[in-house]
Amino acid sequence: MAIIERPAPVGAPALPAPVTPTRTYGALRRPVATTGWKSWVFTVDHKKLGIMYGAVAMFFFIVGGIEAVLIRLQLAAPDNKVLTADVYNQMFTMHATTMVFLFVMPMAAAFANYFVPLQIGARDVAFPRINAFGFWTLVGGGIIVNLSWFLGGAADGGWFMYAPNSGPVFSPSNGVDFWALGLQITGIASLTGAVNLIVTVLNMRAPGMSLMKMPVFTWLQLVVQFLLLFAIPVITVALFLLSFQRSFGATFFDVSAGADPLLWQHLFWIFGHPEVYILVLPSFGIISEVLPVFSKKPLFGYPFVVFSGAAIGFVGWGVWAHHMFASGLGPVSVAVFSIATMAIAVPTGVKIINWTMTIWGGKLNFTAAMHFAIGLVVLFTIGGLSGVTHAVAPSDTQQTDTYYIVAHFHYVLFGGAIFGLFAGFYYWWPKVFGKQLNERLGKANFWLMVIGMNLTFGPMHMIGLQGQPRRMYIWTEARAGEGLFNLGFWNRVASIGSLILTVGVLLFLINVWKTARSKQVAPLDPWDARTLEWMTTSPPKEHNFDAIPTVRHLDEFFHRKYAQDSVTHEIKQVSTAEDIVRDQEANADKHIHMPSPSYWPIILASGLPVIALGVIYAIPVAIVGAVIVVLALFGWSLEPSTAPETDFDPPASEDGTKELAPLG
Amino acid sequence: MSKWYSVPTSKTARRLVAAAAGLAGVAFLSGCASNAPQDTWQPKGPNAEKIDDLQRPVFAIAGIVGVIVFAAIGYAVFKYRDRGQPIPEQSHGKPVLEISMTVLPAIILAAIGVFTFQTIFDLAKTDDTEMVINVTGQQWWWEYDYPVQEQYGITDPIITSGQLVIPAGTKVLLRETSRDVIHSYWIPALNGKRDAVPGRVHTLRLEADEPGIYAGQCTEFCGLSHAAMRMEAVALDRDDFAAWVKGQLSLAASPADGTLAKEGEAVFLNQCIRCHQVNGLKRADGSPAIAAPEDNVWSGAAPNLTHLMSRNTFAGASWDLLTKGCRKDVWGSPSQEFGEKYLAGVTEDCLNQNDLRRWLRNAPAMKAMYADPTKLEKSGGKYRGMPNLGLSEDDIDKLVAYLATLK
Repeated sequence: MAIIERPAPVGAPALPAPVTPTRTYGALRRPVATTGWKSWVFTVDHKKLGIMYGAVAMFFFIVGGIEAVLIRLQLAAPDNKVLTADVYNQMFTMHATTMVFLFVMPMAAAFANYFVPLQIGARDVAFPRINAFGFWTLVGGGIIVNLSWFLGGAADGGWFMYAPNSGPVFSPSNGVDFWALGLQITGIASLTGAVNLIVTVLNMRAPGMSLMKMPVFTWLQLVVQFLLLFAIPVITVALFLLSFQRSFGATFFDVSAGADPLLWQHLFWIFGHPEVYILVLPSFGIISEVLPVFSKKPLFGYPFVVFSGAAIGFVGWGVWAHHMFASGLGPVSVAVFSIATMAIAVPTGVKIINWTMTIWGGKLNFTAAMHFAIGLVVLFTIGGLSGVTHAVAPSDTQQTDTYYIVAHFHYVLFGGAIFGLFAGFYYWWPKVFGKQLNERLGKANFWLMVIGMNLTFGPMHMIGLQGQPRRMYIWTEARAGEGLFNLGFWNRVASIGSLILTVGVLLFLINVWKTARSKQVAPLDPWDARTLEWMTTSPPKEHNFDAIPTVRHLDEFFHRKYAQDSVTHEIKQVSTAEDIVRDQEANADKHIHMPSPSYWPIILASGLPVIALGVIYAIPVAIVGAVIVVLALFGWSLEPSTAPETDFDPPASEDGTKELAPLG
Repeated sequence: MSKWYSVPTSKTARRLVAAAAGLAGVAFLSGCASNAPQDTWQPKGPNAEKIDDLQRPVFAIAGIVGVIVFAAIGYAVFKYRDRGQPIPEQSHGKPVLEISMTVLPAIILAAIGVFTFQTIFDLAKTDDTEMVINVTGQQWWWEYDYPVQEQYGITDPIITSGQLVIPAGTKVLLRETSRDVIHSYWIPALNGKRDAVPGRVHTLRLEADEPGIYAGQCTEFCGLSHAAMRMEAVALDRDDFAAWVKGQLSLAASPADGTLAKEGEAVFLNQCIRCHQVNGLKRADGSPAIAAPEDNVWSGAAPNLTHLMSRNTFAGASWDLLTKGCRKDVWGSPSQEFGEKYLAGVTEDCLNQNDLRRWLRNAPAMKAMYADPTKLEKSGGKYRGMPNLGLSEDDIDKLVAYLATLK
């Protein structure tokens, strides 16, 4: 069944007789609400799901941010007492877990969900119900991971959760159980999302869009989805081993039973290193869209950016042990992984060069999005160069597990991943909400974040190289050195920086709030963009495009707006976004099939946290959860893709504003 | 119209920002602490020097590359801002430039790689070892076990903790393992770190050029009190080391009858002996007093206290047995005087009674530990760390007097 928000064509030719089942197979009738909370909770629309992914991720960004500020408050003075050792250990574990799994990954998923179908000229993803299921699974996993705060303490083993410190003896609260099971659930979200987006990108591109005409953001998201597809199963295995060890007395990491604790490290980092690229490549994709738009130039060396992205995707699998240079792997392994890690710097460097060359010779317009994009290039370069210094394994044995590493990965993940996401917010906000974020506030937001970020993480380079290890709930004057610029001074600077950073993020939230209240509507094409997602209304209609465009160029939209004069070689505007969209509306496709909302994704997803709670507290509860999952699977399978109108809840309206076309 | 959140746009304002950024850069470079005890840039032995020699050029190259990239971005940002110029040519790149820009960093990295390879294998060598010490990590302290090595006068195994004492100018090989979770042994002035993993033995080369004391810290997160698991390496010249060995091989003598220390010995035999060994200690009936930490502590070990006052820290090297002034005197002494001062140990005047008493009064309040009897279900009732012994002030006086005799 299809719902499209388009007046039914008057006097349309008679439709072929719909083939509909004569009875309802599903246990529940399909929801069709298009307004109110039901239209969100039961939606399968990739755009609504994208917005919900974004909202949930933003909530967890705030949670993770509060955790970060508490950490910095504790470290603002020697032997400080803001947090106890126990709470501090939970805090840094949950800060990393939240930022990685519940902010950056879902936020990247939000962008992927919303913009990949639009960028490839599709009407939705390949499996819309699975898409909804993925989102609700993420919510369930996020709740389980954080519920531990209220039930005896959160996980306290660090986000890397090294065995045997993660075992029941060394971490006797239920925190690690919640952590392992919660991440297991969010892993399901990532895995289903990955399959969905891969199928979508490979099968649902608009006519004419060959892979090498695909926008770079979609390309890098495709690479990320493949990384997820292969990386998530590894962490799934590791988390299962951990859960069985903790809940059912298994001995996978029990040394006295003959286990080798390094097993966990290998499993974790075989997942964990590709994970780094999973976090950062979506942002690379975002700025690879933003830089060309605001430079009025195509991305420099498109195939190089695409293939270096793919190369990172491959080589990323061969560098995991650089997290283990001090673990005692032996010189041969260390040497091999050291060289492999240097090798991955090459495709990463290629990207920096391409971004620089993109703005080189351009016509630069410094919007807030452009600020964040250039900020990413600069800050990520710092993180990349410090990365090279610890690719050199002997030098890494001095640096690993010190604040130098903390500095490095915050330049890569905050300066890289998060700045890219913010570039995306400012760039795509008018597309998603039809209103532009305030540019002046946006630039203030940018500068406060840049200053705060550099004050917070810049000094950590020195603190680390001068010997302050990470994950210590206190530091002491005795090891802080002498002089004005001792480690204590820089620890205080870092703490002050974190507060500036907080104000920067608050400005963003204020900006969102102000924009939501503003009545000013954004122009159709505010940035003079280049790609398909801008070739429709803002926000896009439920079916995205009235007519699926045929693609002839990379940067199709730009090529429809501009043409090069064959004599003067001058590039001139020949059409506007309004013209193009009007033309689409006039030639709209008939019989647009859109997937219907469904109750089953959220019901199925709700069974998983119940199982998790059951594993932790009482197996019968887990059985209840399993029953929910099995029944939901049946309901889901039996829900027909086409159904009689009586199968809808409420039945179709008949005022003519909605057309229910039972054709697929 | 400039609002409070507006960005400086005038030329002077922009210059001010640039000047501030420049100043920040200078402050950054000159902003290092002097004499940070764990500074990775001040090697004090050949292994750390090897790393230093390797990493200095790498940092320099990284810095140069960074400056070039930032200059290019800065130039582009300044030069190509939209001043109404025509829309640039829609060129998709220049393959020759692309390929050369790919090959160039690859060549630089390959060169770095060659030296990295060499250093990795140099630092993994074990065949030139002159002395072996077994190092065992547990929550949250290090135990050192010197196997018999006659050439250094070690005729019986020596077991100690907190401070690793080594002869200067000697190639020492640590054989590391752990009794519970993963720890990491790191004395930045002497070498990089190496994890101590339960069930495995990892080696780490250590050598100090000069006598002195070199600070370190456990650098693999090892649970609750990871922050309070420190260590120090103490290098002594050959003669001083021989004297230290001789001292460590001696047995503890019982204090004279009627002294406060003698009463302290009784308290020790009543409480501390459950976990802490003092070699030579005898019960009232003359039988040797043997500690049984494996019955009470999860890792199965507690620091051997026979020569507590020969080391100048306690509780995972997190607190000083020396008062502030005395500590400064030892740590700050030039290397030719260092041995003598270190071997003097903790004298009556120098004993940091304050922290030691605080520790005896309630250890878990000073250093977070799993010592709450209600929370030991999963470890079968065994502590991880030292519990609150509930000693009376009287007992503490006596114990301090006894501990002060353990030279």
